Amino acid sequence: MKAILAIARRELDSYFATPLGWVALTGFVFITGFFFTFFLFQFNQYAVSAGYDPYGAGAADLNEVLLPMFFGNWMVVLLLMCPAVSMRIFAEDRRQRSFELLLSSPVSSGAIVLGKFLGAMGFLAVTFAATLYQPAVLYWLGAPDPGVLTGSYLSMMLFAACCISVGMLASAFTRSQIIAFMVTFAVLLVLFLLPGLAEGASADWMKALGEVGMGAHIETFGQGLVHSKDVVYFVTFIGACLFATQQKVESFRWQ
Amino acid sequence: MIEVEALTRRYGDFTAIRDVSFSVGRGEVVGFLGPNGAGKSTTMRILCGCIGATAGHARVGGVDVLERPAEVKRRIGYLPEVPPLYGAMVVEDYVAFAASIKGVDQTEVAAARALERVGLLDVRERVIDHLSKGYRQRVGLAQALVHDPEVLVLDEPTSGLDPAQRREIRNLLTELAAGDRTVILSTHVLAEVEAVCERVVIIDRGRIVTTARIDDLAARRHGVRLRVGSPSEGLVGQLRAIDGVTEVSSSAAGAFEIAASTEVRAAVARVAVAADLLELSALDSLEDAYLELTGARPDAGETA
Repeated sequence: MKAILAIARRELDSYFATPLGWVALTGFVFITGFFFTFFLFQFNQYAVSAGYDPYGAGAADLNEVLLPMFFGNWMVVLLLMCPAVSMRIFAEDRRQRSFELLLSSPVSSGAIVLGKFLGAMGFLAVTFAATLYQPAVLYWLGAPDPGVLTGSYLSMMLFAACCISVGMLASAFTRSQIIAFMVTFAVLLVLFLLPGLAEGASADWMKALGEVGMGAHIETFGQGLVHSKDVVYFVTFIGACLFATQQKVESFRWQ
Repeated sequence: MIEVEALTRRYGDFTAIRDVSFSVGRGEVVGFLGPNGAGKSTTMRILCGCIGATAGHARVGGVDVLERPAEVKRRIGYLPEVPPLYGAMVVEDYVAFAASIKGVDQTEVAAARALERVGLLDVRERVIDHLSKGYRQRVGLAQALVHDPEVLVLDEPTSGLDPAQRREIRNLLTELAAGDRTVILSTHVLAEVEAVCERVVIIDRGRIVTTARIDDLAARRHGVRLRVGSPSEGLVGQLRAIDGVTEVSSSAAGAFEIAASTEVRAAVARVAVAADLLELSALDSLEDAYLELTGARPDAGETA
């Protein structure tokens, strides 16, 4: 346990010791900040016109219109950022040969994978924390639902965790960071688009495929609701990726 | 302390080591000698649990590395050929990190002790990437020492260092080997083996060629290589009769190798002149033994 935390801590620190971490962090805060401002002004106009419409009052609800739109956009940004965060997880260790330190220490491959995963999630948590001024502005301007906000942040963490776990698996398979990035992005993009593609479909297998995508399970979190089937989905998804990564790391001993 | 039994490791079609067996007693300092690509690193990496073995066993303190790797790893300190450093980290943080993943309780204390041990206290707040190669090697050593292991496995600890740095590391190794710590170090610098080790294991093309005590090899120190033009029947007997000569062997007609416990060149010369002495030279014990045993290929025995 102590070893897992030590590995996680080192991983987290390593993001801030390289330009990559700072670029990813400031990039994320800047882009989401840009969208935030943009949507806020758009929503403002929308709300003003909705005010004249007797049937449009509900459409101007901050929690139902602005926040889903806003966090939906986060996902697109995360789709690009997470592969950049995860691509170096194993590749860098193996390139600078520091992986031998982990291999020759009394830690299991599972602990290595878990530690590195937690480290990357820690980095994302710090990044997310840097965006908290955005909800603060919302509180200042209006009355956002804390349930919706918390649920949205939680869903973004889960979404990011899925992305990172896919990225770690890719990173364990190749020493090239570029390849790890591209493969991760391609897989995530397909998973992200699946629910939308399956929406109008009538065939059962297509509907089932839609459920594999992450979007279908994030929506309810965004409404401040936690369904057990979604929790099961995320635990299974992340668990499967981490397990596969652990298997791959274990196989390093035989290459 | 260390028992290696019929260890074999294949990479696809390539067999890196084949049927390697040797053992090292507690407190012994053993040099692992062999040309590049002979299988030194592979053997060491298996011993430290970094990679698996295709067949065979490796035991440290009676515990099988392949069956209970964690237990063995707690007792071994391993310095790979390229020190496993996180270049962006500060020296003391790195060593403390190594301590915590090796299951040390008081990581800060252990790190400080290891740094003092290898003489790095004055650079402990520097970033590893900014250190010289010699210092980086020491950081690697500190990592291997931080959990106070009973066994140290060092893969070419002095390669790529300048002569001054090499001497410093060598002195350090002698210090570390004191007490009952068991040390295995690989190298292709013969002087190093003579200076630090008690015993050598010579490996070539994946097989153990010989294991011998340095003293035994040094007994060949006064060896003489001799070539004469017209060897007579009684020459061998005459050579054997010389005071100090322990063994006379002949590899070709007129070519002899003489092992001796004292300086015998003058006496040998007197005997050999009668048989038309062509050539007489001193055998450099270890280097000759090494070249002989590893087949004296052009790339063998080259010093780093």
